[in-house]
Amino acid sequence: MFEHLRDIWHHRDLILSLAFRDVKARYKQTALGAIWALLQPLSMMVVFTLIFSVFAKIPSDGVPYPVFSYSALVFWTFFAAVIGQGTVSMVANKELIRKIYFPRETLLLAVFIAAALDMLIASTIFVGMLLYYHIPLTLTMLWVIPLLFLQSLLALSVVCLLAAAHVNFRDVGHGLPLVFQIWMFATPVAYPLSLIPEWFRPIYMLNPMATIIDGYRQAILHGRPPDLTALGITMGCVLLFGLVAFSVFKKAERTFADVI
Amino acid sequence: MSDIAIELHHVSKKYRLRRGWFVTSLGNEVARLSARLLGRAVPPREEFWALKDVSFDIKRGETIGFVGANGAGKSTLLKILSKITVPTRGTFTVNGRVGALIEIGAGFHPELTGRENVFLNGAIMGMRRREIQEKFDRIVEFAEIEQFIDTPIKHYSSGMQMRLGFSVAAHIDPDILLIDEILAVGDASFQAKCLNKMAQLKEQAKTVVLVSHNLTNIREHSKRVIWIDHGTVRMIGDPDAVVNAYLDHVTTAMTFGEGSSERAERVALDKPACILDVAVFDHQVHPQSHFDTGDSVSIDIAYSLKAPVPGAVIGVTIQDIHGYPLGGIVTDPNGVQLSSEEDRGILRLTLNPLLFTKGTYTLDAYIGDPTLKKYYDYRRTAAKLVVDGAGHTSLASGHVHYPHRWEKLT
Repeated sequence: MFEHLRDIWHHRDLILSLAFRDVKARYKQTALGAIWALLQPLSMMVVFTLIFSVFAKIPSDGVPYPVFSYSALVFWTFFAAVIGQGTVSMVANKELIRKIYFPRETLLLAVFIAAALDMLIASTIFVGMLLYYHIPLTLTMLWVIPLLFLQSLLALSVVCLLAAAHVNFRDVGHGLPLVFQIWMFATPVAYPLSLIPEWFRPIYMLNPMATIIDGYRQAILHGRPPDLTALGITMGCVLLFGLVAFSVFKKAERTFADVI
Repeated sequence: MSDIAIELHHVSKKYRLRRGWFVTSLGNEVARLSARLLGRAVPPREEFWALKDVSFDIKRGETIGFVGANGAGKSTLLKILSKITVPTRGTFTVNGRVGALIEIGAGFHPELTGRENVFLNGAIMGMRRREIQEKFDRIVEFAEIEQFIDTPIKHYSSGMQMRLGFSVAAHIDPDILLIDEILAVGDASFQAKCLNKMAQLKEQAKTVVLVSHNLTNIREHSKRVIWIDHGTVRMIGDPDAVVNAYLDHVTTAMTFGEGSSERAERVALDKPACILDVAVFDHQVHPQSHFDTGDSVSIDIAYSLKAPVPGAVIGVTIQDIHGYPLGGIVTDPNGVQLSSEEDRGILRLTLNPLLFTKGTYTLDAYIGDPTLKKYYDYRRTAAKLVVDGAGHTSLASGHVHYPHRWEKLT
């Protein structure tokens, strides 16, 4: 494992080059360019606000609904982008994989960096909204950093498994958007966690993204640190899962060129 | 440091042939299982061994050539050496940094500029950013695209892209360089550049592994040649010996026209015209297949006509060892007339002097309508010519020895 991590470090220039290629190629010959990175979470926020807040009157824990939903959408979009684009990244680069050896996880990390850049762009609006709705800026907000780390680890672990599976079974790519739709509604993105009845919580909270997304909201909107026990358990599980997922990926990687 | 650059121990590589996992592979497994339960013969798995028990070692600083037919396993071998894939069985060691001129320009992105692609491509091939920065000017100069370096490469010609890709690959400074068929692409000046680069690496005592169908290049540049046949090492040794053995094998494996007149007779029943036999003779009309450049060659073509075919023509096409056509000769409908009155005939085509350089050539013969939009009969590799090449003509590249003279003017 240590050897693999050193190998990744050794290929950091490659990861940056691939990320640069992904970003530049994505916005080439578009009129709006990087504004597209804003439009994805922004349009979702508008739709959610209309349907869930204006029409369905879903509560949002006393916070204006637009900033309530956007505080989750910014991070969820990042999560979905890493996994969505990462899963197909092996097949998208199959010409490279067939012809040259390099550690294949560099493709996943490049997708991760490019998506992180998009999130950074989308965050500018988020900061604007916090100021507009007079949400007090506190030091508790720094909890976002460990939460973001946890989310990244989870996203990279999941994408390791899915990317390896997608090389062998393209069904994965077809099923993914469907799974993500369900996963998003199983996560408190459009509604508050308080909407979930107590008796159902133990099952509901098995979804690590529920802990993470609710954590962001508590830290940013309510100035409350996340539940440390829940966070610790989630972190432990994700780390273990990540180790397994990465080993599986490294093992599957050896035959990517044969089956892709 | 050991003086062995590459070492293979009983390396085998298996590929599964599968189209749609559930349909074929799973179906296959179910069939195997049910056959076993019912006590019937178990159908084989759909798999094939691209390499079977291959062992050899290559010394540091050696240039090794690989020959073998398409699908013999050469590319699989290179894929294993460059770590693209892993062997199913066996072990191998590679000492030193490997550079591969296998697919130059792989990973070029059309939207990025030449400069950006140099950095991307260099990184993919394992170079650090600082290393690329140091070599950048040399890479661009070698590729001869200074003016266009900040243009997106989608506007490059294919030749420019290839030059840039090769230039990046050539500057990796590997300890071991793998070259696959690269000499087959590009124009003559590009090929000359490749050869110079190879010579330079040889001077620096780098290890070079060369795979090519161009047997002349293999012979000239390799210290030893390995012949791969159906996934196994058939022969290792002196370049001349191995290349000659391989050539003999290839040419005898081809199906020639001899002994097939009987079959031609049968086919002729429902064809208006057919080629019965093709034979090659020397200037004394002795059957012969070996010639020198400049000899006189006669090719006799026996044909039959079952029905009146107005204006039918007979022709031959000559190909090199790879089947690439080098030229064709057709009878002039206003010259030699094929009459349907007599249902059989023999035409003699004389090539004098024979213009081909050293090599093995095959000959197709056909009979068709005057516009050659329709062939009544087409005999592939109906005969072969082995040209030994006289004197210094064997040094020249290409297949044709042009009639010429040199004069010293001042």
